[in-house]
Amino acid sequence: MTAKNPDILQALNPADCFTLAMDEQIRRENMPGSLCGFALELDKMPDVAELTRRIEELVQRFPVVQSSLQQRGRRFYWCRRQQPRPIFFQRHCPATDAADPLRTYILEHINRSAEPREAINPLEFHLLSDGARHLFFMRWLHPLCDARGADLILKYLNTADPGQRQSFAESEPLVDVQLRKFSFWQKIRLFLKAKRHIEQLDRYRSIVPLQRDLPARRLNYSTHRFSAEQTRLINSLARRQVGLTGTSLYYIGCLMRALEQITEQPEGDAYCVPYAFNLRRQKALTPLLGNHICPLFAQVPKPLLANRQRLFEHLKKQNAEVIRQQIDYAFLPAMWAASWLSLQKHGEQLRKSYHHGTERSSFWFSDIGQPDSTTENFCQAGVTGMFHLCQISTPPALALLTCQFQKQLTLTYNFLEPLYDQSWLDRLHIAMTRELLNDHPGETAGTTNHPHDE
Amino acid sequence: MKDKLRKFIFQELLFVADPEQFRDDQDLLEAGLDSMGIMRLIMFIESEFGVTLPDEEIEPDNVQSFDALERWILRHRQ
Repeated sequence: MTAKNPDILQALNPADCFTLAMDEQIRRENMPGSLCGFALELDKMPDVAELTRRIEELVQRFPVVQSSLQQRGRRFYWCRRQQPRPIFFQRHCPATDAADPLRTYILEHINRSAEPREAINPLEFHLLSDGARHLFFMRWLHPLCDARGADLILKYLNTADPGQRQSFAESEPLVDVQLRKFSFWQKIRLFLKAKRHIEQLDRYRSIVPLQRDLPARRLNYSTHRFSAEQTRLINSLARRQVGLTGTSLYYIGCLMRALEQITEQPEGDAYCVPYAFNLRRQKALTPLLGNHICPLFAQVPKPLLANRQRLFEHLKKQNAEVIRQQIDYAFLPAMWAASWLSLQKHGEQLRKSYHHGTERSSFWFSDIGQPDSTTENFCQAGVTGMFHLCQISTPPALALLTCQFQKQLTLTYNFLEPLYDQSWLDRLHIAMTRELLNDHPGETAGTTNHPHDE
Repeated sequence: MKDKLRKFIFQELLFVADPEQFRDDQDLLEAGLDSMGIMRLIMFIESEFGVTLPDEEIEPDNVQSFDALERWILRHRQ
């Protein structure tokens, strides 16, 4: 294909197709597609000349970051643009009385009106300042890379030594590498295993907290950072309740319980939450671009929510069972097969519970753990905070994104207005905080026992 | 045993620039071994070495280095 079409830079791998299907689902709600963002809060302006040089080098080495996403036949490809568009923007956002100008800018750029897929920049960098505060905002279109890849791009830009930057290289998509390890019959068996697993999940009707029948208008976000001391406590609680292997499951379980508390009589039988297993080896510098993930589902029937211990035991057991039975790998052939469907059909397969015909996901979730990209400095500016954003399908219209940056847990709730609003999110966060810090009465100010606890 | 553990961890779970230089007492958690990685590692150990590792022993002390992993596995092999 590439030989016949010299403008084609790269084909989408099956995991990219999965994120593209979600892009389509979001677009069908008249929202701008699967745009995601990382924001670094800086204590001063970085070295702009050096940053510009490194971005230019990134574009030169990985032209796909400046390409156009195009459909050829049934498949999608990153294609070279005839007229490349700039991807680095600097903006002075003067402070106004009305609103936080940096936040307003970010919201405008994550909510920009839907552009055709071919036109949108897959990657953009925005350096913002209102004079007193400085922010480096990276926005990407999800089929370009997953959150870990986005973290690697930031790491690339923050690597001062040109020799070390050369060690970031592209290689074959890990999804394809893994799929090639399976024989044809293995693929079929695994595909059926994944299908049976989904059918099991579909025995329960998912709880979707959102019950309002309103069109989505725009994405908003709410960021909360816990102190280092609180984070230590949360980590120790997570370790105690879910074990060393389940910090992400701890966050998921806590949010399920928090939602259950603030949602009046939620309809449905179980919370069902997609999370991703990442095929990259931790700390691997390559492959930088493309998605290297596979969706898994955490599901908790309602009766298990009342007791924290039972809830976390269930989540841990479910996760262990997924790995023991290799259901995580079984999803790879399923993802490969789905990549041949139309985007609409692919999205329906992912989202709809076919026993009930309703939305499968109660909320979206992503945990990037401890980001690699920045420690304390970014291009000679101190980094004081980090958060991330993602557009979401409706329903569930709610996503929780987490990271532990400089030993502080940051939660970013992403939500679609007017389906959810800030006051609802505030109530949710109060309940979530109580859940995250639970079971340590007296050790942390404000920690309370939950009435559901035994 | 350590060779098998090293091969699995460096091929499947953890990227380090020079695996040969990674010492047996060096901290795997510091190097980036995460929760999903630990889960996979435990499944690998159980199938490869024929042991069952109790959930309550999945602690940093037992998984933080190749030395610690070997001690943990040997305790359950006897």
